[in-house]
Amino acid sequence: MAALLPVDHFLIMTVYALLVSAFFSLLWREQRGDRWKLFGVLVGSLVLGGLAVAWLMYPFPS
Amino acid sequence: MSTAETAVSRSPFVAAVLAWVFPGLGHFYLGRRRSGVLFALIVTACFVLGLSFEGRLYTIESGQPLTILATFAVYGTGLLNIAARLLSSNPAGTILAVTYEYGCAYLLTAGLMNLLLMLDAWDIATGRKP
Repeated sequence: MAALLPVDHFLIMTVYALLVSAFFSLLWREQRGDRWKLFGVLVGSLVLGGLAVAWLMYPFPS
Repeated sequence: MSTAETAVSRSPFVAAVLAWVFPGLGHFYLGRRRSGVLFALIVTACFVLGLSFEGRLYTIESGQPLTILATFAVYGTGLLNIAARLLSSNPAGTILAVTYEYGCAYLLTAGLMNLLLMLDAWDIATGRKP
């Protein structure tokens, strides 16, 4: 099976963040507004956290 | 659960087993159809993407104790995992593929999410979760 997404690290990471965030916002919150709020927090945390860790690999490569 | 959805009194055991068989099926059985469909889409998308990235459907290997945990996680996706093992020409993945690690992460995450759905279905059916 060919990769269903272009092989782009940021894109694959972002899609992963979207799926995981959608899952936990549905699982942990009951109201629609609360779900969207948690979804935004989780997506932002995962993507920005990923970028921060990637950036830290330059000064601390191993 | 949206306000339109209502909990239906059903067997916790059946709900948990159905949740394992296919993602979201336990919630569907409990009357939470919208949640069930959304969970099915999310977990199935995660699993299929993992396969397309040439991730590995883990099996237990002697001398590699962490493969026990990974195998448990991947088997969490129920029939998706079994069907993929039967139909895939490359269930062990391609370790040299640039997307291999992503594929493994997606497959393991799909399995773990479905295991959480089993627990959630159990909790809903027993009344521990409103």
